[in-house]
Amino acid sequence: MAVEQRVNQTVARPMDKPKMGKMARREEREFYLFIALWIIGFLAFDAGPILASFVISFTNWSMMSPPAWVGALNFQRLMTDPLFYTALWNSLYFGVGSVGLGLIVSFLLALLLNQKVLGISLFRTVFYLPSVVSGIAVAILWIMILHQDFGLINSVLAWFGIKGPGWLVQPQWAKPALILMSLWGAGGSMVIYLAGLQSVPQHLYEAASIDGAGPWMKFRNVTVPMMSPVIFYNLIVGFIASLQGFVLVLIMTNGGPANATLMFGLYIYRVAFQFFQMGYASALAWILLVVIMIITVLQFLGAKYWVFYEGEVAK
Amino acid sequence: MTTHHEEELAYELRRRGLSRREILKAGARLGLSGAAISALLAACGQQAPAQPGGGAAQAPTTAPAEPTAVSLFDQAEGNSGWPASAVGDPAEKVEISVAHAWDATFMERQKQFDALFMERHPNIVVKAENTPFGEYRQKYVAQAAGNALPDIMYCQFSWSQEFIKNGLFIALDDYIAREKDFNLQDFTPQSLVSYQRDGKLWGIPYDEGPANLYYNKDLFDAAGIPYPDETWDLEKLKEVALKLTQGEGPNKIFGLGELPSLGDSLVAPPYLMPFGAQYLSEPKEDQCLINQPEAVAALEWWQELREKGAVPSPADLQNVAWPAFQFGKIAMTQQGSWATPPIRAGAKFNWDIAMWPKGPKAHKTFSAGSAYMITRDSKNPDAAWIYLNDYLSTAGQSYMWGITGRGSPARLSAWPSYLSSKFAPPGAKFVEQAMRVSASHDIIDQPTGPQVTQAAGPIWDLVVAGQLSVKDACDQVFAAVDPIIAANRA
Repeated sequence: MAVEQRVNQTVARPMDKPKMGKMARREEREFYLFIALWIIGFLAFDAGPILASFVISFTNWSMMSPPAWVGALNFQRLMTDPLFYTALWNSLYFGVGSVGLGLIVSFLLALLLNQKVLGISLFRTVFYLPSVVSGIAVAILWIMILHQDFGLINSVLAWFGIKGPGWLVQPQWAKPALILMSLWGAGGSMVIYLAGLQSVPQHLYEAASIDGAGPWMKFRNVTVPMMSPVIFYNLIVGFIASLQGFVLVLIMTNGGPANATLMFGLYIYRVAFQFFQMGYASALAWILLVVIMIITVLQFLGAKYWVFYEGEVAK
Repeated sequence: MTTHHEEELAYELRRRGLSRREILKAGARLGLSGAAISALLAACGQQAPAQPGGGAAQAPTTAPAEPTAVSLFDQAEGNSGWPASAVGDPAEKVEISVAHAWDATFMERQKQFDALFMERHPNIVVKAENTPFGEYRQKYVAQAAGNALPDIMYCQFSWSQEFIKNGLFIALDDYIAREKDFNLQDFTPQSLVSYQRDGKLWGIPYDEGPANLYYNKDLFDAAGIPYPDETWDLEKLKEVALKLTQGEGPNKIFGLGELPSLGDSLVAPPYLMPFGAQYLSEPKEDQCLINQPEAVAALEWWQELREKGAVPSPADLQNVAWPAFQFGKIAMTQQGSWATPPIRAGAKFNWDIAMWPKGPKAHKTFSAGSAYMITRDSKNPDAAWIYLNDYLSTAGQSYMWGITGRGSPARLSAWPSYLSSKFAPPGAKFVEQAMRVSASHDIIDQPTGPQVTQAAGPIWDLVVAGQLSVKDACDQVFAAVDPIIAANRA
C-alpha cells in the first residue's frame, strides 16, 4: 500500500456531531465573552467609518467643505486612471513575490528550527527577533542594507565581482528589493509553522517509516499534507497584508522611483491625504476590498485541491 | 569672553537641549577648566532669564507663562515697539488657540513671544499647538472636516490657495483697514501673492525667502577657486561645479547639491526662467509650457551636470538629513534662507552664501514663504486679530524671525534685525539683495499643485535614472499635467 494512501486513511475519520453538554455550553458562553470585546470595538470604532466610506465613495469631498453627491463617477474615473492600474499591478506583483518567497523561507526555517539540537531555543529566538522590530526601524535599516554604494547586499555582491544595482533608486529593482526586504518578517509565520510542525502526530511518521518511507517521502506525504492548513492560513493572511502594504513603502520609497513601488494602499493615502479627494480615495478602498475578496475566494476554491484537514472524510 | 570654539560647543549643547547640570558634566568630561566651563555656561545663555522690561510690558495678571526650556535666544531682546491695535482687548478673559509647525528649538522662541504677549494682553490667553511639519496639513484638514480648527493657524504657501478656496479662513481686509499702523506696503510684493484670492487677503505672511547659493568655503579654498560673487552667471556656476567635483565613493565631492526636478513646485524661477522658459503659465497655472523648446533646452543644459557626476545621485542622498550640504561633501547648494539653522548647527566647515547667479535671459530665483490665518471656526476672531497684529508687526517679525536669524521677514521694516543678527549667515545681505533683484514667486501654488508635481515627479525619476531623455520626459509631463490643470481654466 502506498504511504500516501495509508496516511490519508489514518488522517481521515468521520466527523462526529457531539451533543451540547454542560462543559460545551460553558465553553460557548466563554467564546462569546471573549469575542464580545472585539465585536464591541468593531461596532464602536470601525463599523461607522466603514459604512461612511461607502457613502463617501459616491461623493466629491475635500474634507474642507461639504461633500457633493456624484453618483458612480468615482468608480468610473478609476477605470480610466492609469495610476489605478499601476498601483494594482505593483500590489499584485509585491503580493505574489513576498508571500511566495515568504512562505518558502519561513517554512524552511521552521523545518530547521524543529530539529532537536543544542541551543535550539536560542536559534528560534534569534530568527523570531526581527519580527518584533517596529516598521519604521525596519525601513531605515533596510534603506541602509539596500544602499547602492555602502549597503550590505551590494558589499557582499562586490566580493564576487558583481556590481549590485541601485535597489531602491532604479525602477526595475525597486519592487524586487521590497520583496527581499519582506523576508525580514518571516519569523512571524515561522512561529506558526513551528507550532504546526510540532502538532503533527509522531505516529504518522512512525507508520511511514514502517512502510519504508525516507525523509523526502515523509516530508512530501506526511509533513506537507498535515501542514497544508497552516500554509493556507499564512497564504491568505500574508496576501491580504501584502495587498494592504503601506508604511514601509511610504518611508522607503514613497512610491518611487517612477511609481515603481506605488502600492494600492499608498495610492489611496496619496489621493486621500495629499490631494484630499476623499470620495475617490474611498472608491479605491472599496475596490481594494473587492480585489482582496476575489483573490481570497479564488484561494479558497483552489484550497480543496491541496489543503487537508485532519477531521475531513477522505473522498 | 568666550572663544569661537566655546561658542560652537555651547551652540551644540544648547541644540541638544542640555540642562545646566548636564553642561557642567559634559565640560568636566571634556577636561575643561573651571573657567572654561563658566565661559561655556555664559555662552549657553544660562544666566537667569532677563525679565521683560520697557513701557509696553505690564506685570502679568494671567497665569504665569509656562517655564521654557533653555532657549538659544534672550527673551528680552527685541521686546519693544509693539503696536497698539484699533481692535480693543476683550473685557473678559478669552482663550485663543494658535497652531504652529515649529521645530523644538524655535518653539522655545514662540513660547517667549507668547509669554510676552500675554503680559501685554492679560485678557487673552494663548494656547499654542505645535505639530511636526510633516503631519500638519493632514491634521488640520481633518480638524476642518470636524469644524474644529484653531483660532489661528500656520499655512505654507503651497497649501494656501486650496485652503482659501475651500473657505477655511476669514478675509483680513476689514481688520487691516481698521489699523492705522498696519502698512501693507511694508510687505515684500512676493510675500503676499499666495494669500490673495478673489481680491481679498486671507493671511498675513511672516516670511518670504529667496533661494540663495550656499557654498563651502573650505572646498573653494582647497581648490584655489575664488568665492561666488555678483559677476557669476550660470555658466560660471556650471564650470566651477565641474571643477570642484572630484574623488570617488564615500569621499567624493560634488560640485552642486541638486538639479531641477519637475516634481518640485519651486523649479521654474531658478532653473527655467533664467533661460526664458516656464513650467506652467503663472499665476493662473492654466497652461503647461514645459514641452516648449526653451524649457527643454534649459533642462538639457542642467542635465549635463548630472551626466558628468557633479550632483549626488538619489542613492547618494538616501538616509542623508536635509540639507545634505551640511555634511561637507557638496561644494554649492541652492537653498532658501530657512536652511540656515540646520546648516549652522551641522556644518563643521566654513561656509557662506551668495546670490543665485543670473542666466542668459534673466536673473531669477524662487522666493517662497508662509503665513498665519484666522480660521472660519475661530470663536474669538477679534482676539485672534490682536495676536496676529502683534505677531506679524515689525516688532513681531523682528522678534521671531529677524533677531533669531531665521530669516527673510515678510516686512521690509523687519530686515535690519535679521541683517544684524548673530544667528544670520555671514552673507545675509545677499538674501535681502535677492529679494529686491531676482526673487520670483512664480512657483506652483494653485490647488492643483500637488497633483501636478506628483504626476510629473515619477516621469522625471526616469530622467534621473538615465532611462528617459529630457525631451521625451517633457512631452510626457505635458501629457500628464495638461488634464490636471484644465481645472484652472474654468
